[in-house]
Amino acid sequence: MSIDLLRFAAGLYAVAAAGYLLYFARPRHTLAARFGGWFLSGGVVVHLAAIGLACKEFGGLEWFTLRGGMVLTAVLLAGTYLLVQRFYHLPSVGAFVTPLTLIILLPTLFGVGGAPGEAPAALKHPAITLHIMTASLGVALFGLAFGVAVMYLLQEREVKGKRFGALFSRLPPLDSLDKLTDRLVRLGFLSFTVASILGAVIARSVWKSAWSWDPQQVTTLLIWLLYGGMVQARHRGWHGRRYALLTVFGFALLIGSIGTLRSVPGLTMHAGEYKGPRVEAAK
Amino acid sequence: MSVRQLFLVGLSHKSAPIEVRERVALNGDDLKAALLQLRASEGVKEAFVVSTCNRVEVFVQAEAEQAARAFFTSRADQAGEHLYVKSGADAVRHLFRVAASLDSMVVGEQQILGQVKEAYGLASGVEAAGGYMSRLCNRAFATAKRVRTETGIGRGATSMSQVAVDLVEKIFGDLKGRAILLLGAGKMGALSAKALKVLGADRVLVTNRSPERGQQLADQVGGTFRPWGELDQLLVEADVVIVSTGAPGFVLTADMVRAATKRRRHRNLCLIDLAVPRNVDPACAELEDVFGYDVDDMQKVVSANHQARQGEAVSAEAIVEAEVIAFTRERESRAALPVLVTLRQRAEAIARAEAERTLQKAGDVLDDRARASVEAMALAIVNKLLHLPTVRLKAAAATGESALAGAAAELFGLDQAAPAGRRTTPRNGVTPPAATPPEKDQP
Repeated sequence: MSIDLLRFAAGLYAVAAAGYLLYFARPRHTLAARFGGWFLSGGVVVHLAAIGLACKEFGGLEWFTLRGGMVLTAVLLAGTYLLVQRFYHLPSVGAFVTPLTLIILLPTLFGVGGAPGEAPAALKHPAITLHIMTASLGVALFGLAFGVAVMYLLQEREVKGKRFGALFSRLPPLDSLDKLTDRLVRLGFLSFTVASILGAVIARSVWKSAWSWDPQQVTTLLIWLLYGGMVQARHRGWHGRRYALLTVFGFALLIGSIGTLRSVPGLTMHAGEYKGPRVEAAK
Repeated sequence: MSVRQLFLVGLSHKSAPIEVRERVALNGDDLKAALLQLRASEGVKEAFVVSTCNRVEVFVQAEAEQAARAFFTSRADQAGEHLYVKSGADAVRHLFRVAASLDSMVVGEQQILGQVKEAYGLASGVEAAGGYMSRLCNRAFATAKRVRTETGIGRGATSMSQVAVDLVEKIFGDLKGRAILLLGAGKMGALSAKALKVLGADRVLVTNRSPERGQQLADQVGGTFRPWGELDQLLVEADVVIVSTGAPGFVLTADMVRAATKRRRHRNLCLIDLAVPRNVDPACAELEDVFGYDVDDMQKVVSANHQARQGEAVSAEAIVEAEVIAFTRERESRAALPVLVTLRQRAEAIARAEAERTLQKAGDVLDDRARASVEAMALAIVNKLLHLPTVRLKAAAATGESALAGAAAELFGLDQAAPAGRRTTPRNGVTPPAATPPEKDQP
C-alpha cells in the first residue's frame, strides 16, 4: 500500500520537476514555476502519508535500511526546499533540487526493501527516532547545498567566461547562491552534529561503547570534520568558488560513503543488521 | 467610424533632424492649447498628439489631413519637407508600431508606451479625443502589451552602463552594504557609476590623479573623494571598480589586484574597464574571485542584444499586423452597421404595420393564436428576405468594401425619411406575442 502512495508522490515530483525545468528553459512562463511549487507541495504531503502508512505496515523497521533512509532524505530535501523558497524565492533552484529529489527517490520505488525481521536491540533506545531524523535532515540539507553550489559553479563559469547567454540570465546572482549555500551547510552541520551525538549516546548504551571503529562511524566523523572545517573556513573569509567546490565534494563523499558502506553486507553495523546487540539478544 | 477617416501627419528621428523636431515639439499647456485648436479646426472630429523628443505625430479623425498638416507648418516653415502622412490602416499600423516600440531609436525601449499613454490622457482630458481615439489608443496599448509579453523585444541591455548594471547584479545581487570605486574621470565611468546606483550601493568612492577634478566628479556622482595614493586600500574596500582614466597604460596591474584579493579574503571583486586603451591588465580577470570586463566585452553584449531585438521585432511586426487587421475589420463592420440597422428597422416596421392592418380587417374571425401566427409570419418573411443581404453587407464591410453598403442605402432609400403613414417603431414599440424566433414559429 505505502509503495503505491510513494509511487504517486514520485509522479507528483516528476510533474513538479517538469514545471521547474520548463520555467528554467523559458523564464517567461512564471506560471510553470508556480505549478511546480504546487505539485512539489502535493508530492511532499503524499510522501509523508506514505511514510506514515509504511510505519504502520512495517512497524518502523523500514527506516533502519538504506532504502528507508533514502525515502526520508527525499522528503526532507523537498520539504526543506519548499521552506527555503518561502524565504529566498529562487524558483530556478527548483530546477536543480526537484530532479535531485526524484533521483534519490527513484531506486526506492521498485519493491519494499528488506526490513529486518525482528527489532534489533538498538531500536529500543528512545533517542533512535531523533537520531534517524536528524541524520536524514543533515543529508537533505547537504543535498540542497550541493544543488545550490552546482548552480554557483555554473553561474561563475558564465560570468567569468563572459558568456552572457541563457544560463547567465536564468541563474540567480552569484552572491545569493553563495549565501544560500553557506546557510544550508551551517544548518546541515548543526543537524549532523546532533545526529552524531545522539548516535554516540545510543552506541554507548547498546553497543557498550560510543566508538567502535565501525566504518560508518569513521566516514561520518570524516564528513563531520570536513563540513565543520568549511564552517570554520567561512569565518576566515572563504567565499565563492572554493566554498562551492568543497560543498560539492562533501556531498559526493557523503552519498558515496552511504551507498558503498551499506551495499556491502557485513561491512558496517549500520546496514540494517546491527549485529552486535542482535547476537547478544540471540544468546 | 471607419478607419478611413483617420489621418496621421508627423515627423520623427527617422525623417527630421533635431533642429526641426525641437521647433514643433510641444508639451504641457502649449500642447493642450494646440489640441483645442486642432479640435476646433474645420472638419476635425477628434485629435490627439504624441510629442516626445524623438517624434511629433498628430492623429486626427477628419475628412482630410489639412488641419494636421497646418499644425506643423504653422510652427516651422521647413517642417513640411520632413512630414510623413498616413491614413486609414496605415495610420493605425503606425500608431501600433510606435506604441509597441518598433519605431523607436532603440527598438524595444520601454518609455514610449508611457509617453503615448500620457499623450492620450492629455488629449482626452481636454476632450480633443473622444470615443474613436479611445478605442484606437486602447487597442494600441493592448497591442504593445501583447508584443512585450509575447516577444523578447524589451529584453537585454542596450547601453554600456546598463550592461554594467546587469553584470554587477549577476555577481552581487544588489549592492547594499557595498561600495563602488570610480577610478578616473572619464565620462562613461561617471555614467555607469550613476546607473549602478539603482542597485543601492552604500558608498561611491572616487579617486583621480588630479584631486581637483576628482573632487568635482565626486560631487557630481554623489560620492566621496579619496586621494590616489590610497588606491591599494580602496581596492580592498570597494566591490565594484569602474576604471576610466586617460592613462595610456595599465592603471591596475595583476600584482596589485592579487594583493588586494588576499586582503579581501577572496570576496568577489568586479573590475569594469571602460577606458581605451585599456587601464586594467587583462591578466586580472584570470585571477580567482575577480571578474574583469573591458569595453569590447560590454560592446559585444550591447550588439548581441540589439541583434536579438531585431530578431524579436519580426514576430512583433506580425502581432502588430494581426492587431491592425482585427481593428480595421472591427471598425469597418461597425461602419456598415448603421445601414443594416436602418434597413432592418424599416422592414420590421412595414411588417408590423401590414400585419396590424390585416388583423384589423379580419376582426373577430381569428382567435388569439391565429393573430399571433399572422404577426409572426410577417416578421419571418422580413427575416428570411434580409438574411442574405445582412450576411453579404457584413462580409463586404469586414474587407473594407463600402460600395455595397452605399448601394443598399441607395436601393432601399435609406437615406430618405421613412415614407409617410408608416410607423418606424423600433423593436420594443408594439411587441408581438411571438418572442421566439419567427422561423421556428411559422404557421
